[in-house]
Amino acid sequence: MKSIKSLFKNEAARKILLFFNENPNCIDTAKGISLWIGWDIDIIQKALDQLVKEGIITSHQAASTAAYAYTNNKEIVKKIEKYIKNI
Amino acid sequence: MKEFEEIEKQEFLTKFSKSGSITAFRKLCSKVIKKSRCVFLDAEYKPFKCNSECDHIKLGKYLAKLKFDPSREYMIFKCSCNKICLSFPIMQGSNVYGHVLFIHLGKEPKKTAIDATKICMDLALKEFQKEQELNKLYETIRPRAIALSTIHTIHRLLSSTLNMDELIERIARLILQVMRSRHCSIMLLDESKKYLIPKAVINLDKEILKTDPQYKKIRLGVKLEGRVAKTGKSVLSRNSVCVPLVEEDIIGVISTRDKTNDASFDKFELEILITLAEQAVIAIKNAQMYEEQEKMAYGSIKTLAALLDAKSPNTFTHSDQFVRMVLAIAEEMRLSREDIVNLHYSALLPDTGKFNIPEEILKKPGILSAGEYDIIKKQHLESLKIIEHLEFLKPAMPIIKHHHEKYDGTGYPDGLKGSQIPIGARVMAVANAFEAMISVRPYKGSKKISISQAIKEVEKNKGTQFDPEVVGAFIEIAKKPEFKNIVEVSHEKHKKFI
Repeated sequence: MKSIKSLFKNEAARKILLFFNENPNCIDTAKGISLWIGWDIDIIQKALDQLVKEGIITSHQAASTAAYAYTNNKEIVKKIEKYIKNI
Repeated sequence: MKEFEEIEKQEFLTKFSKSGSITAFRKLCSKVIKKSRCVFLDAEYKPFKCNSECDHIKLGKYLAKLKFDPSREYMIFKCSCNKICLSFPIMQGSNVYGHVLFIHLGKEPKKTAIDATKICMDLALKEFQKEQELNKLYETIRPRAIALSTIHTIHRLLSSTLNMDELIERIARLILQVMRSRHCSIMLLDESKKYLIPKAVINLDKEILKTDPQYKKIRLGVKLEGRVAKTGKSVLSRNSVCVPLVEEDIIGVISTRDKTNDASFDKFELEILITLAEQAVIAIKNAQMYEEQEKMAYGSIKTLAALLDAKSPNTFTHSDQFVRMVLAIAEEMRLSREDIVNLHYSALLPDTGKFNIPEEILKKPGILSAGEYDIIKKQHLESLKIIEHLEFLKPAMPIIKHHHEKYDGTGYPDGLKGSQIPIGARVMAVANAFEAMISVRPYKGSKKISISQAIKEVEKNKGTQFDPEVVGAFIEIAKKPEFKNIVEVSHEKHKKFI
């Protein structure tokens, strides 16, 4: 996994991580997340795919849709939380 | 109570002094009352957030003067260093939250400037009120809207599958996600309604195999899950939540435990799990009904196959290994579940199209004449009318109809080629030819050949008789150890898709 600091350099990824840190129970589509964040869906989708690869976001795939949620990995969540507090 | 009011006023002043509206107010006032500094006092006239200006004011004797009439609209006075200051109360209704001071004015401000500043202050307060209301909405409505959207997304995810195993596991994983927990199990009551059968047990820390004791059935009334299933009442404890799945009667339970952040579950999370359970019940019932429908469809097809078999054994139906081969290729090619189910139906009735073809043509050894071939083509379509009234077989009809087509367009009944031929038909064509080569049929001119020879023969006809992609999948299966089980005659039925 990339360092948290480098992940936060990408503005879209930063927004997504801030959103999920604030709403860890959320499960939503890329469209939904882009709406909450107020960013273009294509940019958000790209950042989500990257965060899924990094293991920070979990993807729930279904035939007609894909939904995204925050990782359940306690260590990663703590690291991100700590980083956000120090921003 | 007074203390509470004071805290509330302090909070108001803190937020107001930092708000965007006060920044705009300062800018506007700097145009109206020139060469001044703007500072805040709290409702008790104490300097708010001490800074250099406040220290200066603290020393003045005028603070007592301010106290005599807090409700007055404004006050002009001289501070300790004999410079002119202007004060406005920050009011909302009859409440005074603090005072804003413009200190060290060059000269006494005109009435028009004071009025303009007062208007600016009123506007700033109104703007601040709007900001506050918006913030309140953001803090209260937004989390609920996100929660609602989550529920909606879960509904979409659950309603996108009718496969019970897939559905139950998906429900469990989504619960882990929403509840932020590490362990989830879903149990359904058996037919006797006396036992709970674990259908999915997921632990984020380790994989739970079906042989694990956690997959053992639980008697009603025993353990937490058994008690919840018996009473129908949800149970919330520090590190676990268990809710019943209710659809008129109780059909099972969902339980989850161990939060990822080691916190305790609360009532709000219990409510969330109850909502998820309500959605899960609908999805489970739909999947159960679909399973029932599939069983009925499968039963009807088997009955039809048995009737056809009774008329002429092995003419209209194929062996079990043919069905297994068709399904194995379909799985290897990762066809959709819907495609696989239709292919399964087709594989059980592959040669219904032969129904009206005269037996002497069907069993004729050697090459057919052009006339006989024409009869086959015509009767093939006629025979398919037997099954056209079975609604659930409609998606399987094109597969049955076209599985004698050849990839290069030289087959029948329509001479389709390449991707014009339904994918299911292309799969059946390979399995059909392979089965014909490795089995003995009395009407065949040639004898059966070995499995390895048959595989080579299939590969040889790749791109002409058969779809290369299907042949590729077939060759991959042939390399696997379980290929032997597929081609061996067995009476085991393919329950996987039924």
